[in-house]
Amino acid sequence: MSSLPTDTDVLVIGAGIAGLCTALYLARAGRTVAVIDRGEPWGDASGANAGTLSVQIKRPEVLNITRRAVELWQGFKAEFGIDVGFGRPGGLRVATNEREIDMLRRSQVEQRELGLDTEWLDGNRLRDLAPWLGPTVTAATLCDWDAYSSPLQAGHAIIQGARHAGVAILGAAAATAIAEVSPGYRVTTGAGTITARVLVIAAGAWSGEAARMLGIDLPVSADVNMLSVTEPTAPLLDRVVTHIGGILSLKQYPNGTCLIGGGWQGRGGLSTGVKEIGYENLLHNLRVAANVVPALARLRLVRSWAGFEGVVPDALPLFGPLPGRAGVYVNACARGGYSQGPALGHLMAELITSGRTSLPMERFAPKRFAA
Amino acid sequence: MIEVDLAILGAGPAGLAAAGEAVAHGLRVAVVDDNPRAGGQYFRQPPAQFRRDGGSWFDKEATRVAELLRVLDHPSITYLPDTVVWDVPAPDTLAVAGGERSGRVRGRALLIAAGAHDRPVPFPGWTLPGVISAGGAQNLLKGNRIVPGRRIVVAGNGPLLFVVAASLVRAGAEVAAVVEAAPINRRLLHAWPSMLAAPKILRQALDYRLSLLRAGVPVRTGMTVVAARGADAVQDAAIAPIALDGSVDRAVSETIACDALVVGFGLTPSVELLRLIGCELGYNRGRGGWLAVRSDRMETSVANVFAAGDGAAIGGVEIALLEGRLVGLEVAARLGRAGNAEQRRAALRDQLDRTDKFRRAIEAIFAGPSHYLGLLTADTVVCRCEEVTHGELQARQAEALDSMIQLKSTTRAGMGRCQGRNCMATLASIVSEASGTPIAGLNYPRTRPPVRPIAIGDLLHEPIPPPDLPADPHLPRRQNAS
Repeated sequence: MSSLPTDTDVLVIGAGIAGLCTALYLARAGRTVAVIDRGEPWGDASGANAGTLSVQIKRPEVLNITRRAVELWQGFKAEFGIDVGFGRPGGLRVATNEREIDMLRRSQVEQRELGLDTEWLDGNRLRDLAPWLGPTVTAATLCDWDAYSSPLQAGHAIIQGARHAGVAILGAAAATAIAEVSPGYRVTTGAGTITARVLVIAAGAWSGEAARMLGIDLPVSADVNMLSVTEPTAPLLDRVVTHIGGILSLKQYPNGTCLIGGGWQGRGGLSTGVKEIGYENLLHNLRVAANVVPALARLRLVRSWAGFEGVVPDALPLFGPLPGRAGVYVNACARGGYSQGPALGHLMAELITSGRTSLPMERFAPKRFAA
Repeated sequence: MIEVDLAILGAGPAGLAAAGEAVAHGLRVAVVDDNPRAGGQYFRQPPAQFRRDGGSWFDKEATRVAELLRVLDHPSITYLPDTVVWDVPAPDTLAVAGGERSGRVRGRALLIAAGAHDRPVPFPGWTLPGVISAGGAQNLLKGNRIVPGRRIVVAGNGPLLFVVAASLVRAGAEVAAVVEAAPINRRLLHAWPSMLAAPKILRQALDYRLSLLRAGVPVRTGMTVVAARGADAVQDAAIAPIALDGSVDRAVSETIACDALVVGFGLTPSVELLRLIGCELGYNRGRGGWLAVRSDRMETSVANVFAAGDGAAIGGVEIALLEGRLVGLEVAARLGRAGNAEQRRAALRDQLDRTDKFRRAIEAIFAGPSHYLGLLTADTVVCRCEEVTHGELQARQAEALDSMIQLKSTTRAGMGRCQGRNCMATLASIVSEASGTPIAGLNYPRTRPPVRPIAIGDLLHEPIPPPDLPADPHLPRRQNAS
């Protein structure tokens, strides 16, 4: 692994999807960029998430960002020459009772007003399209934007793609102190000291910690999301499946494995670093999955794990300048940040190089939490 | 929820001995094992439907087995065969599933006696039909009375090779050669005196050696298998000299025709559950690799979690039995049920120390090469489940994606059905050799439940209270954690 340069135009803290995509597009715009990570690059949420690139489950505020991101995701294989495991089979967002059907209807209307059209499915049409759904599923919306990628393959591709663009990426290099110098900042890390004109905090759940080194409080907390993967099996389901209640995400990858998520919480927390399976919540997660797709019950579970996801109280992205610290930006905690990552990285590079963004991003500025 | 004084994972020698000792002191005990019949590997029993004529060498342990298994009929025992422990949700709780039943077993103390598995060593052709592990060969013989071939090469490192070879000869197979990587012949003289510490085991060992001599089986030492070859199944094995530093001299290889190749490079403790609980592990090559760090009471670094037998550190059946009894006694003593435990403990310890002296002598004789990476070629499959070759791993190393975690996540090595049992040790060896970091210092991928792959439906029989569903799924959920 390379060593840390002593000076750079931009230093990105956090080698997950937000940080690496920001770095990639900045390097392509001609900046020298270094990315440091407290652990292994791509080692936390970006590598531990479900790989769901679903547009219709997103909050209305980020629909356009997510659509732009799916387009970028779609081009990554050609761009990097390394497969990111992207597939766009479209997604079904399911409902299993009257209350959920009502929620699904309202969400569909809201999305239509924002320019996202989904197709309402129930009765025979739903059964014909998805005979693998269980009898408890009575309605669904079909969104042809919904996609997936493989977090593991994507990590390989994006790390190599950023390196080829000239980005220096260094793991085991946690920032321990940040001092203001003129012009810019000097950051002390576990692997040496580096000076940068511009800092980008893209440290996901650890972004609050990084901002605190600059004396700024950001209300970042961490969910401990659980995921499970089955053994490979013959083709079983041919859509990305999500749930209107937000309690299930499910897809089958081309290698035949099925990935089951849904934001069920495990044990642990950021302060202890513990992220373990929560026994009863895992059983709830598996039960929901087996209710929606009964054939899952006979598949063997191979591995369950948990990962931290940084989130702020309104669950919208932290995107923009850090208030009170010139030249420091935040790109973190987007809620489903894996799916939005490429677009948020691109937009952040625009913001840093031109001061403007091609989508309206003001509402996501960290200053909304400045007391 | 089943609640007991001592919850035991594993109905092998260590688990059964612990259960016997514990019920003798009036404790309530649960024993969970994923086999249909108790006994573990050493005392593996054929299916109950098998008719046995008795008197064969297979039955030489019949009396001991019967005595050991009797404890399972004791009224204070809850015995769950055919049941997998798939998670340890708390350090006093085993999550179990088997057939139409799933749930939790809670003990005031836990004993993890998970046994061992073969240390996997990849070489060209190791995935050919007809190439089987030493432990697998023993299982076929003991559990099913099946001999895996007519003309068999037994290769690898360690005392189990000789046990397997002798068993195969006695079962009627032709053993074409035993190929032992360690230069054992020149070490034997030195080790003799310590072996007298356990005369019973020594006699057994001589017995195995004698069977091989009588059958005229050639024993090649300082040699290793370097390739298995054949069209649809193994037809011959290539062997070559290997030095203790792992270097292999393929220039002087020779070929032995065979229709089965039994490979055993030693056993490695199955420490997955201990890892999951968070018990401190140490690395000791001579005792199988990663093993449990334990007190002299067999307690791990987690209070009231005990580990015994080959699942804690490779020591063989006699050590497993003694360690199991010590655990049963210790738990009884802690619960105030053992009366004066001191005398019995001292007697068990004394036997254990003498047996351990023998074990150390055997360990010294069989100390093998530091690694077997010289057996790998670019197209040798390292991870069988995901079919990852050594060449692919080398390509990632060349891209500076060279930690165990990066190699795993970029190639999928270790992510398949076997959950890394067949490749993680090789991956560690590769990373250790390339980086100069000792294996004990490597950052391993975490162990996650389930400890064994298990059908999702099998986990859903336990009634649990309904969940708290998020009112708004987008908002932070941590408050709903349990």
